[in-house]
Amino acid sequence: MFSIKQPKPTFRSYLLPPQHEDKLSPEMKIKKLKPVLLRGEIVVNEVNFVRKCIASDTSLYDLWGKLTCTNFKLSFITDTPMPFQKFHYKNHLLGEHDVPLTCIEQIVVVNDTKRKQKILSFNKKLKFNPTELIIYCKDFRILRFRFDESGPESAKKVCLALAHYSQPTDLQLLFAFEYVAKLYHQQGDRINGIDPGGGDTGPKTPLFETFSDWDREIKRTGASEWRVCSVNEGYMISKSLPEYFVVPSSLADTDLKQYSYSFFGRRMPLWCWNHSNGSALVRMSCIKDLLQQRKIDQRICGGITRSHPLRSDVYKCDLDHGLPTLQDIQAAFTKLKQLCVNEPFDETEERWFSSLENTRWLEYIRVFLKQAVELVYVMDSKRLSVVIQEEEGRDLSCLVASLVQLMLDPYFRTIVGFQSLIQKEWVMAGYQFLDRCNHLRKPEKECPLFVLFLDCVWQLLEQYPAAFQFTETYLTVLHDSTCISLFGTFLFNSPHQRVQQSTEFAIGKNIQLGDEKGLKFPPVWNWSLQFSLKDRALFNNPLYIGKSVPSIQNGLTKSFKRTKKNYSSTLRGMPPALKNGIITQPALMPRRNSLILRLRPELVHQAPEIQNNGLQLYLKNFFSKPVDLHGVILPRLNGPHVKLWKLLYLRWIPETQISHGGFITAFHKISLLADEIEMLQTSLRQYRSFPLSQATSPDGDQSRMFFRADDLQSSCESVDFLSSSFPFSPVGNLCRRSILGTPLSKFLNGAKIWLSTETLATED
Amino acid sequence: MLAGMEDLLLLPGEVVKDMAKDISYICPFTGAIRGSFTVTNYRLYFKSLERDHRLILDAPLGIISRIEKIGIPAGRGENSYGIEIVCKDIRNMRFAYKLDGRTRKTVFESLTGYAFPLNHELPLFAFEYKETFSENGWKVYDPIAEYKRQGVPNESWRISRLNDRYELCDSYPATLVVPVTMSDEELRRVAAFRAKDRIPVLSWIHPETQATIVRCSQPMPGVNGKRCKEDEKYLQSIMDANAQSHKIFIFDARPSANALASKSKGGGFESEDAYQNAELVFLEIHNIHVMRESLRKLKEISYPIIQESHWLSNLESTHWLEHIKCILSSAVRIADKVESGKTSVVVHCSDGWDRTTQLTSLAMIMLDGYYRTIRGFEVLVEKEWLSFGHKFFLRIGHGNRNHPDADRSPVFLQFIDCVWQMTIQFPHAFEFNEHFLLTILDHLYSCLFGTFLCDSEQQRVEETVPQETVSLWSYINSQIEDFANPFFMDYSDHILYPVTSIRHLQLWAAYYIRWNPRTKPQDTISGRCKDLLAKRAELQKKLEELQQEMSNRSLSSERGGSVASVTQTVV
Repeated sequence: MFSIKQPKPTFRSYLLPPQHEDKLSPEMKIKKLKPVLLRGEIVVNEVNFVRKCIASDTSLYDLWGKLTCTNFKLSFITDTPMPFQKFHYKNHLLGEHDVPLTCIEQIVVVNDTKRKQKILSFNKKLKFNPTELIIYCKDFRILRFRFDESGPESAKKVCLALAHYSQPTDLQLLFAFEYVAKLYHQQGDRINGIDPGGGDTGPKTPLFETFSDWDREIKRTGASEWRVCSVNEGYMISKSLPEYFVVPSSLADTDLKQYSYSFFGRRMPLWCWNHSNGSALVRMSCIKDLLQQRKIDQRICGGITRSHPLRSDVYKCDLDHGLPTLQDIQAAFTKLKQLCVNEPFDETEERWFSSLENTRWLEYIRVFLKQAVELVYVMDSKRLSVVIQEEEGRDLSCLVASLVQLMLDPYFRTIVGFQSLIQKEWVMAGYQFLDRCNHLRKPEKECPLFVLFLDCVWQLLEQYPAAFQFTETYLTVLHDSTCISLFGTFLFNSPHQRVQQSTEFAIGKNIQLGDEKGLKFPPVWNWSLQFSLKDRALFNNPLYIGKSVPSIQNGLTKSFKRTKKNYSSTLRGMPPALKNGIITQPALMPRRNSLILRLRPELVHQAPEIQNNGLQLYLKNFFSKPVDLHGVILPRLNGPHVKLWKLLYLRWIPETQISHGGFITAFHKISLLADEIEMLQTSLRQYRSFPLSQATSPDGDQSRMFFRADDLQSSCESVDFLSSSFPFSPVGNLCRRSILGTPLSKFLNGAKIWLSTETLATED
Repeated sequence: MLAGMEDLLLLPGEVVKDMAKDISYICPFTGAIRGSFTVTNYRLYFKSLERDHRLILDAPLGIISRIEKIGIPAGRGENSYGIEIVCKDIRNMRFAYKLDGRTRKTVFESLTGYAFPLNHELPLFAFEYKETFSENGWKVYDPIAEYKRQGVPNESWRISRLNDRYELCDSYPATLVVPVTMSDEELRRVAAFRAKDRIPVLSWIHPETQATIVRCSQPMPGVNGKRCKEDEKYLQSIMDANAQSHKIFIFDARPSANALASKSKGGGFESEDAYQNAELVFLEIHNIHVMRESLRKLKEISYPIIQESHWLSNLESTHWLEHIKCILSSAVRIADKVESGKTSVVVHCSDGWDRTTQLTSLAMIMLDGYYRTIRGFEVLVEKEWLSFGHKFFLRIGHGNRNHPDADRSPVFLQFIDCVWQMTIQFPHAFEFNEHFLLTILDHLYSCLFGTFLCDSEQQRVEETVPQETVSLWSYINSQIEDFANPFFMDYSDHILYPVTSIRHLQLWAAYYIRWNPRTKPQDTISGRCKDLLAKRAELQKKLEELQQEMSNRSLSSERGGSVASVTQTVV
């Protein structure tokens, strides 16, 4: 048997059956293996007879195959089936052992016999032949390959190619461009086969690229005193704002244009959302022109006030002070990653909780949830419009604005609603995905703010398991999708950057754009690009309360009523049909609150005690009543309530996998129940409408569960392969080992452990 | 009836003993609340008289560990003169009198009297509680039937009546299972060599491999390394009874240093010279004093105020979950040795009634799905804990005012916590729900039922506990649906190996911090699941009615058949 310590084991003795005539066939087989390539994908380098390490303590289960570097991914191909591995979902874009280049965080090469090791980065030379390659991924995996039996030169070439291609010097070198170019060339016209709507069959996700998406959102939320503004068409004013956005009706385009000069990045106020009581959520950058500051501030706030039915004052929330900075968040995340993945498992057991606390990750989650709760209170209870202000308004604003809306509006807790929220508050609002996700491996601007957001959403889901249409698997898969450079969604720093870069690219590639503003990239919301219909059922939460309620998606005016209904506490517990019929809403006739009406924005800040008491009372009141999942949900933020998202951070760690267990086993049972109920309802409907016809099962329905009740046999067996990591499997995806006797964590120790590109001392 | 206690429904046998109006409950979460205070021979009952603060405190006196007077009548400040009650279930209560010259004497005296009846020559309430239930819980556990279920007696193991009158060992049950090769006389010699006469006896036998879990107390080699050939033969017989393995594992639950130190007191552990083929493993679980201290610290950080910022490091500093991890992982090692190693194991600590009981019962839950059912779990508690002499009376301190008693320790609480940790990791593997575990813990202290009274089977027989008190299982089994886990799937042939990494262990918030109104979950998955079950039942009924209606209209029967397959239930 192979082991790492035996330096020169023979390949044949391990793999080959005793018959002599078969001796050469496995080698030939490996040589003949071909990676599955996407359109526009090309193989850069490859090496045969590579061993992929499966377990960290034994080489018994290692796989033999071919390691390939393409312009899109690292691909390991083998024809040996993985032992005790059952994949639960399949990604159409990636094979079992593949890693997209944009998911690679660090590449380490080792030579055992020369006792050398090096962190490989772009343009670095490699003076030794690697015997081992370790890939650290942004999604917390660690992969290990051994080259004992492969040609030393080709092994070296693949490693260098990986280092080179995973760190492109230019955005246009990212694979998505090549992929989309091929689509355009093949289709030949500008419709080009990419679904522009951002969705599969079923309801489309509004992308907020058009006037009409914003207009529908205004109508959906009943923001009658707000209008869509087109002054930024062609990005004439701001390169980080969307072309269309929403402003108070009373502010004229000409004024806005003039004010815009005083804002950072010319980012003028951007409407996010309206509460049914009329208060609006607005985000804007800071006014850099100090002379103009007071005047412009008054004009803007005046406009927002005039758009409020009570003409009540504006509550300002400054995100630049008193909150963790992007550097803090990045540092916390690095520490978290280090703790969860890299530190020796047993050594961290004893100090696990304090180490987790020391990362400050959970603390930051609490801070931002708390900030959002405070704004929910201001809007929901004090009925004030809120303006969140941040220097550029492109980072923490995205996070806070989304959390507020998620807590207040049940629409954003549906899959389509949630996706539209990400479009509206992140993609279109100019969150710098390219820099923050670090697709070009230039770590200075990296910040896991979007991960923090997903984690906050997970905390809410954990506390309100029936309030969301999606599952934690959906959130995890969404996180992983940020590391695949194929979707336009997470590729750019702003919508303008997409237009500008892709137009430039198109000209170079001789692609006719016609009227199109830049190339259209497939949105991540086009989930069928990645998963089968069956696998997408993993996104559906069987507990979701909205399930039985008639669908009101697509932002039609009809749903405007629904939103208001949701805030009514007096209607709690009524059947949905009755609720829909009621129009008079107590929320439309707010009580007069003299205190609030008198308060000026500055006063609000000066009287934290009053505000605090009000908030405490609001929270106490909220938590003393049964929650209405169609209405506001607020997180509990006590010590025990903010938890580590184990599925995301620990799923690849074999030691933490609960086999035959984990929450998924309960989820499995609930899915069966939900599915059965759906089938019963269908049968009942069919009986009622066509009492004489055969009852048929509602096949092909998208809302059905991953685990199905009519699948009786598989449902009983399925418990056997469930684990706490489901649908992911840690097998072969985390192979820690000590390098030359030094634990990995020490080897990589430093301020920016996974980000360091410094060469280690051992190379001469 | 007195004003302020209109809602108080007295139990059969419960009598109101005292009552005071105009007492304030100093709620740590909302502040002082005025109301009336009633003491019965079973509970204290406080009801607020304020309209905005509707609150009822209804607590069995059995949970009280200490009552202290606070302040003096002439003291200054509102709500400073009264009593403070320290409870066994991770909370404290504070009541204050108005400063109007009255004293707290009478209510205080009756409260003390009925909270600590044994110090006041009063009976425990369990002996006065006269409720009848549809089932008699004292019949849940029949040792002969349970051993028969396990396949005992068989060619290697016999049922011994040697302890019928508790003469061999007064903390052991009357029915014991021992190897057939051991004569009664030899058993007596073994008893003389084991602490408190607790000889090795069978707890569980693997239905296929015949590997066994055997429990006992420490041997008594002392500093001189005294040996006992009968004891050595005994362990050899245990090994011989299992043809699958030529080895036997002895798990000593104690830290090795403590085991070594106990030699000076005549105790010790099995030396590998004396016991051929035996491998001794120390499990490093700490003693009752360490555990008591750990729980004290846990209470300190979780009641009443939970610090937001340093919650995790505070939790770590209590070491509570570290101890839970140690117990659970030890039980996993035992279960794994029996299941995968097909090897028999002997488990002991010092006396074999605290840590030993935790380990054998947890290993049995992992190995045998029967113990994961409601009735099976009751049998497990009756067998491993009650009949084998876990000293509930001493460890809980029922009806006794000696709060600082060094014999008190949360051993059973730790066991239930470990079970809860397993239910979290395997939500579908247990027939019972969290409420079941909470109910057991509540009545561990309440003294409403006779189940957890006394220290041994012998004492329970002597005090005629089964005749004069109600069993907790009577209550539970009479409304079993309240305690059923909606996720349960019959999974009995699976071995459960919980992951004992601290990453997967959680503080059981629903128990330890349940008094804090800010920690109650707004929504639970099991509640949702129950809703879904009800909904399914409702739809099935509707569909059946429709089908009935249609067949009444004499429609063809095939159509009905096809629908029936849709409504088939999945369990």
